Amino acid sequence: MKKNRGAKVALAVLAVAGLALGTLSPANAATRSTVVIVDSNTFTSLNPSQPDHNLVLNGNVAYLSSMGFAYYNNKVDYVRNTAFGTYKITKRTASEFKVKYTVNKGVKWSDGTPITGVDLLLSHILSSNDYSIAAGLGDPASDTLQSFDSLGYNGAYNELIKDVSIASDRMSVVLTYKKFFPDWELYGPGPSPVHTLMALANGEKKLGTYPHNVALKSKFLTAYQSKDTATLKKIAKVWSDAYDITTVDSKTNPLLLVGNGPYLVSSIVKDQTVTMKLNPNYNSGPATSGIETVVFKTIPDSTAAAQALANKEVDVYEAIATADSVAALNKIGSAVNVDGFAISSYEHVEVRSGSAQGVKDKYTGPFAGYSQQAKDLRTAFLLAYPRQEIIDKIVKPVNPKAVVMNSLQYFPGETAYKKMVADSGAEKFTEGTQAQRTAAALALVKKYYPNAGTTGVKIKMLWGQPSNPRRAAEAALVKAEEAKAGFDVDITPTQGWSAFLEDNKYDVQFYAWSKTAVTQSGNYGSYKSTESQTGYENATVDEIVSSLETDVLTPAQIYAKYVAVEKILIADAVSIPIFQWPGVVAYNSDLKGMDPAPLSPTVLWNVWDWHF
Amino acid sequence: MFAYIMRRIGTLGVILLGSSFLLYNLAAISGDPIGELKISQDPRAKQQIIALTRELQLNIPPPFRYFLWLRGVLGIFVGKLDLGSTRTGESVGTAILSAIPTTLRLVFTASILAMVLGISVGIVTALRQYSKFDYSMTFVSFLLFSLPIFWVAVLLKQFMAIQFNNWLDKPTISLGALVIIGVVIGLIVASIAGGARRKSYSIFSAVALSTMVVLWILQKINWFLEPGFGPIFFFIASIGIAFGVTQLSVGINNKSALRSSITMAVVGLVFYYPTKWAFKLSNQTLVLLAMAALTLLSAVLVSLFFAKIDKIAIIRTSILTGIFMGLIRLLDQLMSTWPRFISTDAINYRPVPTVGQANSLLEPGDYWVTTLDLLMHLILPTVALTAISFAGYIRFARGTMLEVLNQDYIRTARAKGLSERTVIMRHAFRNTLIPLSTIIVVDFAGIIGGAIITEKVFGWKGMGTLFNMAINSFDLNLLMGVFFLTGTLSLMANLVADLLYSALDPRIRTGSGA
Amino acid sequence: MNENNSVEGDSAEISLIERETQGLSQSQIVRKRFFRHRGAMVSIFVLTSIIGLVYSALDAKYFGVRIPGWWKYSIEDLPELTLGQCKDGLVGCPTLSVVPNFLGGNGVHLGDHPFGQDDIGRDYLALVMRGAQRSLMVTFIIGAIAGVIGTVVGAISGFYRGWIDAILMRFTDFIITVPTIIIGSVIGFHFGNLGVAFLAFYLGLFGWTGLSRLVRGEFLTLREREFVDAARVAGATNRRIIFKHILPNAVGIIIVSVTLLMSGAILLETALSYLGFGVVAPDVSLGSLISQYQESFTTRPWLFWYPGLFIIVIALSINFIGDGLRDAFDPRQRRRLTRKDRDRAKLGSKTGVQK
Repeated sequence: MKKNRGAKVALAVLAVAGLALGTLSPANAATRSTVVIVDSNTFTSLNPSQPDHNLVLNGNVAYLSSMGFAYYNNKVDYVRNTAFGTYKITKRTASEFKVKYTVNKGVKWSDGTPITGVDLLLSHILSSNDYSIAAGLGDPASDTLQSFDSLGYNGAYNELIKDVSIASDRMSVVLTYKKFFPDWELYGPGPSPVHTLMALANGEKKLGTYPHNVALKSKFLTAYQSKDTATLKKIAKVWSDAYDITTVDSKTNPLLLVGNGPYLVSSIVKDQTVTMKLNPNYNSGPATSGIETVVFKTIPDSTAAAQALANKEVDVYEAIATADSVAALNKIGSAVNVDGFAISSYEHVEVRSGSAQGVKDKYTGPFAGYSQQAKDLRTAFLLAYPRQEIIDKIVKPVNPKAVVMNSLQYFPGETAYKKMVADSGAEKFTEGTQAQRTAAALALVKKYYPNAGTTGVKIKMLWGQPSNPRRAAEAALVKAEEAKAGFDVDITPTQGWSAFLEDNKYDVQFYAWSKTAVTQSGNYGSYKSTESQTGYENATVDEIVSSLETDVLTPAQIYAKYVAVEKILIADAVSIPIFQWPGVVAYNSDLKGMDPAPLSPTVLWNVWDWHF
Repeated sequence: MFAYIMRRIGTLGVILLGSSFLLYNLAAISGDPIGELKISQDPRAKQQIIALTRELQLNIPPPFRYFLWLRGVLGIFVGKLDLGSTRTGESVGTAILSAIPTTLRLVFTASILAMVLGISVGIVTALRQYSKFDYSMTFVSFLLFSLPIFWVAVLLKQFMAIQFNNWLDKPTISLGALVIIGVVIGLIVASIAGGARRKSYSIFSAVALSTMVVLWILQKINWFLEPGFGPIFFFIASIGIAFGVTQLSVGINNKSALRSSITMAVVGLVFYYPTKWAFKLSNQTLVLLAMAALTLLSAVLVSLFFAKIDKIAIIRTSILTGIFMGLIRLLDQLMSTWPRFISTDAINYRPVPTVGQANSLLEPGDYWVTTLDLLMHLILPTVALTAISFAGYIRFARGTMLEVLNQDYIRTARAKGLSERTVIMRHAFRNTLIPLSTIIVVDFAGIIGGAIITEKVFGWKGMGTLFNMAINSFDLNLLMGVFFLTGTLSLMANLVADLLYSALDPRIRTGSGA
Repeated sequence: MNENNSVEGDSAEISLIERETQGLSQSQIVRKRFFRHRGAMVSIFVLTSIIGLVYSALDAKYFGVRIPGWWKYSIEDLPELTLGQCKDGLVGCPTLSVVPNFLGGNGVHLGDHPFGQDDIGRDYLALVMRGAQRSLMVTFIIGAIAGVIGTVVGAISGFYRGWIDAILMRFTDFIITVPTIIIGSVIGFHFGNLGVAFLAFYLGLFGWTGLSRLVRGEFLTLREREFVDAARVAGATNRRIIFKHILPNAVGIIIVSVTLLMSGAILLETALSYLGFGVVAPDVSLGSLISQYQESFTTRPWLFWYPGLFIIVIALSINFIGDGLRDAFDPRQRRRLTRKDRDRAKLGSKTGVQK
């Protein structure tokens, strides 16, 4: 009876097969032209230059949709983008410094409108406090909000800029600064489609015609030059509000999507995906190599991202580098390439020596002050800090070539690194074996605390987040090794740890610094007494760093100053680096041209070279 | 009663006021909203700190800032609810409004499934207390209940998505796998069916064997790439449904009910090809509504034709049959969309996704492809959520059912000589639902709060994600917005549960006196 | 089918059961029924073994007296990472082997690190043992606190009704609306990490609301029943009615939800750890281990499976014990008779040897 039913089912199924309509088209391996990139953030705005929206994904989308005069490559060179335009110093005296930025003839916005010098002027409005005040747009230094909610105010540009003028052919602008300053290249103007801003300010809903756009540009120039508060305020409103959209579809005002980068936003599904399509009028930068569509897909969970990659739902995933994530990605097989690369971020430890400026109570822990005792104890703590072990156990599984980092400025592998380590005296913390160093540390501690061998000196260490297993492992290693050197380290983690960086409760803290740009003052800014969160005070360091920030120096001078700072920091034993963070990118092995850069936007920087 | 409800709603307001004040101040001191920026080396971080301090009004002490927030909320009475804005300047109201549908889509199906499955399995285990089935279901449900969801998610993605998609590349089942699948399914069915040892063996071997044969045939005819029922199997399934529904609803002995159900199946077969044509029309929402209406109408007409007495019960039976048949027909339609779906560029023969809510690369326009895509994205999270949450329902349903079965009125019903089906379905089952209904109401309110972890591992952005984001980035307005919704809803649900309880169980005097 | 059998065989069975419980006090019946519940008995055995195993594993200090544990490592020891037997260049794989030599395995032995080692070399068996200690503690503290508060609040408001009920239930509503994670993060931010016991304590303080509503509902029904009226007529005090008459009738539902609550507590703590609000380093719980190593699932699965296994076994045993208790307490519960019972009954009635 039952078996009969089986037969019936089989018959039925055969019948169904006979009746099934439609034939299956064979799987044709069409050349792919779509890249799906994982991002852990959600998209919040097309304009990442606002304080609220300075987020990674917004920045990446903006990177693809606009091209300026230069960008960082994977060797951390600031590469000039000659396809877009050129810039050169035209005057350099003690009291004046002029740079001329010229846009190439023929470069176009995606709506076909030519890009001109007028499009470079908005940068000035967005960065100069003086212009903002003079044009009646509010004082960015005050607590009330100025009209343009821009991140650019109050910086080095603002302090030094005197004037911005446009040439008569309207293809170039000249920036006049009060004096030469080291990082001037980073402050060059970027293009903004001012005609669309004007159109949006007028309430227009569709792309304008060519003559209309040219007319709008002229109107903007007039408004800029005459500091027409009413018009500028209308533009400011558009600039600060209209671009904050999280959904883009056929109903979205196309004026918002105009750009000059290789890829432009074509649709956004809120909190899920940002789809960008090749800009048909793109001629502002290096030619693209065959990718038609770039999709950013929001996946906050790292395991989920790795599995999505394995399931071929995504093509590129910049992973959080842990031993397991890398091993898991490697295990996916030949369909996925896993490449390690260096990122401009390093783990370091800071030892408190006093109270940070503005903190009312006084730091009185064992490391307080600059007496021989305090210095010895700090030195002992850093000597016993098990950096090699941390690297062996935590970093090497991800990057087998990882080494202990010994300079706060240079990464291992950079040309100047070896010389710097030799000159700064950082070898003090790597000499001998860890056991020898720890023994030396114990001897130092015992000078002041004879009983340290049995009851250790109590130290409280700040680190976070509590849920980060890699940091927890680091802390456990530190606790174990420091115990042998006479320190009893309390490594209980702290929820919301970054709020406690200036808190005197903590004697030591370790976390990562990350670089966002290459500047002359390097990574030493945070050791100025006005900036130091661990209360470090040293007049010489203050002086050298200030000089680095403002003076015109030769490379040799700069290097000498770097060495001087590091020497002092090492002598005072207030901070040592631990390791450079490894970056890992996993991507569809059919995708070619991937070559990540250390600085943001890391993997994306050469998206124009990608192809299948 | 009305006065009681009004009083309850009044106190509800007072409670919300109190707990929102408490929560606001607690949350305000639970972290530093600008802490992250303090360790940034970005020269622009200072500008960001200034901007955030201004926008979040951080210079106003929290107890006073609360009243600013409250003013916005009280705007609800003049139709202008303002929940403030998030750290990224988005309106909290908008954020929540866009998260609710996501959460509902994610959790609604799973909860319904968990309830239906849990309650039915729970009732069966109660009827077969201490049987093999009881023990094994108890074991399985506790096992599933004990699994952390992110673990379940990882496993599901690995086996149901990645490996399934890989398999689909060349969908053949090896002989070994065929045997294992057959044996496993046979064991499951045999343990559910229960009965004497000999009967178990024959059920097991029949089921195992037929499973193997069917799977073998399916793979031979490439069914996994071109699935579908076709009219014949649709008709066979409909007849099966007609018998099953009739048995459960009024008993197979009710000839007019059986006749009308079977007639429904025949009607379904007649309409098989017309519906195929209708599914190609442009406005599918309208088409589906029309079909639903037609199904109901024909069910009523058919029943009226056959029914002589007890019309309502027969109409109910036919309608149920019609609904199940409709679902099968929809499934068939989705299956026939399958080849078209998996061969699109966006899907590229990997139909089961591991993450996200929809495939944004899919060309819009084809209603069935889009629907299938949405459903495929729902599968894994739904299975995961259902698996971990239905254990609770099994336990409660089993416990309540056991209690009810021991009541005097069940004994009376049996003594009257009512059939076992009537006793179970009409007396025991209904009374079991009373306490369960109140649990369900409260649970439903709870699910709006979202499933934080599920949403995270499956990349959905619903209420759970909002809550998690709010806590991790110390986004006070967002947190309070989420609280405002979930708090109000859970209080309302408790109120409804109380009213329901006293309405359903006449023995209880709720406290209109309270 | 069974149901039909039970109808016809009803009276015979009833007498059989009555005979079984003749002359026994309520608690004796409960005990007898409980001991007969096979699942519950196995679970009690498993759970006590786990508790014993886990709590004796590591060195512990009770009232200043240091008691050495049976396992050589503690969670703070940092032995060398073993690379030896592992495949694929992995480190710290488990040395536990359960397949004997004659079956082609490596023989039955524990090895130096039976459960393997974590990233930095800590012995994983020690970590799992400590994790299990913490998770058991969390489970029992939450179960006890939430169970007691929930039952008491529910019982009082269900029994007395009126304004007492209104106040207690509105208080319950108040607690329902406050998210526990917020309390946790406030405490974490201001007082640092106060330890696992404290975490369990406050989770218990906020976890009783569902139970109290359930118990209240049960009391509302039961207090209208005839036996309560009878007790009241007989002059029983409210206290006596609550504890002797209503509570035993409500105990089934209480136990089911408390056991679900307790096994839910392990998972709640796991979820909190996953989100970063649970047990944090340097302390560990099963939940924090499993969420910490969720990425190891495909690469170093043992880091994931061992704590997972303990979670499942603990949760399963608690639930089965609850199941047994529920059945034992249910005053009208009848055991389904096995064929052996029936045969014995027939035999007994024929030969008269029964009793």
